[in-house]
Amino acid sequence: MTDQHLPEPPGWALKLLHWYCKPRYLEAIEGDLYELFDLRCQSAGEKVARRGFVWDVVRFFRWKYIKGLENSKRLNQFDMWKNYFKISLRSLWRQKFYSVINITGLSVGIACCLLIIIYIKHELSYDRFWKDGDRIYRIAINDRGPYTPTRLGSFLKSDYPEVESYTRLNGLYDFSFAIGDNVFSEPGGSLADSTVFEVFDVKFIEGTPQGALSEPNTVVLTKSVADKYFPHETAVGKIIKSSGDAVKITAVVEDPPANSHMPFKYLVAMPHEYWATTGWWTGNNFFTYVKLAEGASEEAFEVKILDFMRKHMAKDLMETYHYDNFDDYLASDDSYRFTLVPIQEIHLNYPRLTLAESAGDMDNIYIFSAVAFFILLIACINFINLSTARSGSRSKEVGIRKVLGSVRGELIRQFMVESFLISIFSLGLAILLSLVALPYFNDLSGKQFQSMDLITMDNMLWLTLLLTAVGIIAGSYPALYLSSFKPVAALKGELKSGKSGSFLRKALVSFQFAISIFLVIATVIVYQQINHMTNQKLGFNSSNTMVIKAGSALKDSGPFFRSKLLENPNIGSVAASTTYPSQFVGDWGYSTVGDVKDNDSLYTMFADSYYLETMGVELAQGRFFSRELASDTASIVLNEAAVRELGWDDPIGQRLERSEGVLTVIGVVKDFNFSSLKRKIGSLAIRYDPEIHKTRWGSAYYLARVNGNYQETVNYLNELWGTTAPEEPFDYDFVDQAFAKLYESEAKFGKIFTVFSALAILIACLGLFAMAAYTLEKRFKEIAIRKVLGASVFSITTLVLSDFTKLILFGSIIAVPLAFYVMNQWLQEFAYRMELGIVVFLMPVLAVTLLAWLTVIYQSLKTATGNPVNALKQE
Amino acid sequence: MQRINLGEFEELVLLITAVLHENAYGISVLQEIEAQTGRQINISAVHSALDRLEQKGYLKSYLGGATNERGGRRKRLFSVTASGAKALSDVKEMRNTLYDQIPKVTLKLNFV
Repeated sequence: MTDQHLPEPPGWALKLLHWYCKPRYLEAIEGDLYELFDLRCQSAGEKVARRGFVWDVVRFFRWKYIKGLENSKRLNQFDMWKNYFKISLRSLWRQKFYSVINITGLSVGIACCLLIIIYIKHELSYDRFWKDGDRIYRIAINDRGPYTPTRLGSFLKSDYPEVESYTRLNGLYDFSFAIGDNVFSEPGGSLADSTVFEVFDVKFIEGTPQGALSEPNTVVLTKSVADKYFPHETAVGKIIKSSGDAVKITAVVEDPPANSHMPFKYLVAMPHEYWATTGWWTGNNFFTYVKLAEGASEEAFEVKILDFMRKHMAKDLMETYHYDNFDDYLASDDSYRFTLVPIQEIHLNYPRLTLAESAGDMDNIYIFSAVAFFILLIACINFINLSTARSGSRSKEVGIRKVLGSVRGELIRQFMVESFLISIFSLGLAILLSLVALPYFNDLSGKQFQSMDLITMDNMLWLTLLLTAVGIIAGSYPALYLSSFKPVAALKGELKSGKSGSFLRKALVSFQFAISIFLVIATVIVYQQINHMTNQKLGFNSSNTMVIKAGSALKDSGPFFRSKLLENPNIGSVAASTTYPSQFVGDWGYSTVGDVKDNDSLYTMFADSYYLETMGVELAQGRFFSRELASDTASIVLNEAAVRELGWDDPIGQRLERSEGVLTVIGVVKDFNFSSLKRKIGSLAIRYDPEIHKTRWGSAYYLARVNGNYQETVNYLNELWGTTAPEEPFDYDFVDQAFAKLYESEAKFGKIFTVFSALAILIACLGLFAMAAYTLEKRFKEIAIRKVLGASVFSITTLVLSDFTKLILFGSIIAVPLAFYVMNQWLQEFAYRMELGIVVFLMPVLAVTLLAWLTVIYQSLKTATGNPVNALKQE
Repeated sequence: MQRINLGEFEELVLLITAVLHENAYGISVLQEIEAQTGRQINISAVHSALDRLEQKGYLKSYLGGATNERGGRRKRLFSVTASGAKALSDVKEMRNTLYDQIPKVTLKLNFV
């Protein structure tokens, strides 16, 4: 027997059993397991027996066999906790009405916070993903001007060793590509130097960074574009046609993440060699990025750029601005400085520098956080109020507990458990709510969040923190207040109505309504301001003016296209210009002709002679350009703002000078809004170019006055365009729609405010509803006695309502001045401001009061119309 | 009649313990249940039921002598107490009373 191999059960399982099992039961269990093991060895073999043994050990892991739980002190503690939970659940269940209101309010509040947390996290994450992103800077002019001189980057790199690499970008533009016979217009194209990959660590999928963009007519596609046009083949090496040039695809890279200030879809090599080597230092046309060496200081480098300006740029700058001494220039208002802007700050703090369609706004982040915080606060106030209000009905419980030997710490724990249970329930509901609300939130915020973005480790951590904070804030007051009762007083019922808390309750309700009223006033003002702007007189005819873009693609067939347009009966008149209202207008420098040269900058656009009649702009003095006079290319038409700026009493015949030559003023047009209503009308100069489709001065647009039948007209134009300029896709816009787009961010702001203020009021009214129910329950007998003594239903209802109305009015006393101050600040950024009349403040206060009445009136009426006998007979 | 707090499985274990008389411990109860009813049960369930019955006072237990089997561990043997026996007979009596009251028609319909 001894030399025979005896099967043994797995040692680790035995150890496990020894570790957890109570010694009292251990021997019998172990013995049985051994016996079973031997039996199984005989019937099914050792392997099965070992597995069975492990499984049995696991199955014995039961409450009553686990060691340690018999320790009397710990067991007691454990039982107490179990009891806290049991009592909490019971009390929540007994007070269903209050529990539901608490949980609903809190979960809406937490859901708002969760959504806003992911939004803010996204906004703050912009451009954090680049390798060495903290060393990459954008060079801007005075922190604002995005464009910099041609050779700035390359000269900086050769002059200063701390510049590790530089690159220039331009864009983002729409380029059109021909692949086979199909023409596509693809947005998101950026011109880039070949060094772009030294600055930004773009990930290559196919091809290499070396030489990817070193020759003209090469392009690097992102994966999304490559997959779109070359779905099942490799894009690298393919030739596509763009504006007649054969362009070679040299590489495919990963798409930049959504949180980038330069969301390019493809990078096109800079087309001309001379763009890198020559160019005036006063011509600013490129975005310049530099990567500084590790340890190089931003401030020190900005000072060095000043030396750089003196060395390379002084001559050009002095000539342009007419100074004899560079120091005089530097001291003057005409001068500017180059500044370094860290790319990670561009999105939120430098909206003018972003390449993306819309930049973020630090203010919005603050506003959102504040609003989310306030909504949560309102919900917490509900909780505090309801708990303290109900303290009267629980004072007996507290008294009994104290008499039975409960110490204060245990009572505090009891109430904290209750508040944490509520916040845990709310949290679960909040996660569900936010998942449901996510698509709508995406609509509002203009982002694309997935459900997975909501449920991340990070967010769960934040939520746990939030949960703890809410639990403590909402639970601490009731916990401390209720646990401080003297047992005798509590049992005698001296604390019946929770009087000491009633002032605090009233103050908190007022505060809730102050927040709600503030939010409603803000919403009303935001909307009124948007209305005010869109109803402004633009000074031209915007409603039916259609813009046909990319006019330069027409080349020599421009006049033909124009005549064809006029053949259509729906089109009244046609003009061409280098820009259209709502779009960017270039800022050009002019100087007056005379002994004292005066420098002025005017927004400059080119137009043909039909511009005035097509756009409906009115002439104030002189005449507009004439197609009979070829010499009008040396003429200039100003707007009234420009005349005012130049200080001319009699502008006709005055002359302005530029490097191209001397221009004579022939007319003045009335001011019209050529950019945005957020700004005052700037000084505008219109110059004559009879052949805009061949213009050297910018893009070419055809402006057509359409008299109706829009769809038909668009179809006609589409077809016409297809035959005249087949290499370019047809693209159009309407001026009024383009204008509306300018106020998109304000409209979005308004929408977000509407949603949040609605939520805030909802939660506040929920709280009010519960408070009213509670108060009326307490005053049940009082009201009955009043009725017996002859009070009418009306007088009782008004009595109850007036109590709550006082609270709301008190809240509005806080909210109105605050709203006036804050919204006045907000309006300052608009050139055309609405009047802040009394109505915009009065209406919200009235509306909120009315809503509160509606909330309370049902219960008031119910109490007031009840039979007083029912109230009085119970005792 | 006083309510007898006895679950279905507990009743089975109590009966088997009574049947095994002086030789009832974990494994023998387990095997007997399998043999008598064909039910497959985990040993931990049997232990748990035996302990519960002991807590309720229907069973009492003592440790048997050491043997070479079972890795030298002693058995924990169970026997039915007086209140256990009473509980069994009460349950049986109630069953019988109820069974006798069933109208014959119902039984016929069900068993034919």
